[in-house]
Amino acid sequence: MAVLIRRLEEHDQVELFDCGDEPLNNYLRRHAWANQQKSSIGVTYVAIDEGAPRTVLGYFTLATASVPREAFPKKYVRGLPPYDLPLILLARLAVDRRFSGKGLGHALISEAFKIALRVADDVGCRCIIADVYRDRIDWYARYGFVALEGGAPSGPQRMFLDIRTVRMALKGAIPAI
Amino acid sequence: MALKTRQDKKPPQPPKRSRKSKFQADLAAAEDRMVRGLKQELQLNSNTDFLSDALALFHWAVRERKRGHHIFSETETGERKELVLPRLERVAPELALPRVEIPWTARELESLATLASREPADPTEALLRAMRG
Repeated sequence: MAVLIRRLEEHDQVELFDCGDEPLNNYLRRHAWANQQKSSIGVTYVAIDEGAPRTVLGYFTLATASVPREAFPKKYVRGLPPYDLPLILLARLAVDRRFSGKGLGHALISEAFKIALRVADDVGCRCIIADVYRDRIDWYARYGFVALEGGAPSGPQRMFLDIRTVRMALKGAIPAI
Repeated sequence: MALKTRQDKKPPQPPKRSRKSKFQADLAAAEDRMVRGLKQELQLNSNTDFLSDALALFHWAVRERKRGHHIFSETETGERKELVLPRLERVAPELALPRVEIPWTARELESLATLASREPADPTEALLRAMRG
């Protein structure tokens, strides 16, 4: 199976997508295309098999955001640059149950990191933020995401990954000869 | 009475051959030298072979850029140069991501400021693998 990751297209088959989580299924089936094309709320990237190039096997959604400098408590802004803090939101990431355990989640998050780096190069970005289901915290932590304190005790956990760490990983990933 | 058969039927046509097109280009002297030099280096005997290989390479580059992929050359020490050709950029999908508002609690903002002002952590093994692919 040759997997390709690209932006969601209008005629992609999303109706049969089932990751086992209804809100994530519903987002892809009902909202992802409209949010990308009409509302401009998030861009969804899908994994497809080149042999069946319309069937979505997994997806993630990205958007940008920023935190105004004045929103930070004063005693915490000293180490920050004197500007708003730009960030990339990894809003959703899901893999169809039929393809789980095959490394598709890793392929999707890899592509999300690469897109994040390109966006950071183009428009600036300090970190990647992900809102993560609590049973998936360990999976994100493997990539270096750190839990932010102070969120709601139930519901998704907000996690942080410094874009400079991702950039270091890119440099470290280039094989030295 | 003898039956007459209609004679206005068209005789069977030979199968259509795929059309070949001729390609003629006015090259400046320097470009002409470049073509000759490349043909020699690549051991190509004809302009047809040269054009065919060049077309395949250009086609691949366009397809990659259409997917949003970037094209690099990489030295043995890992230095990279990106191929940036304005014509290729015409087919690249728009990379710009939309902007959203995220609600934060005061405590999350403290935590975010603390993490963002620290020196970046070293990449984990999983992150290194992710960037290798």
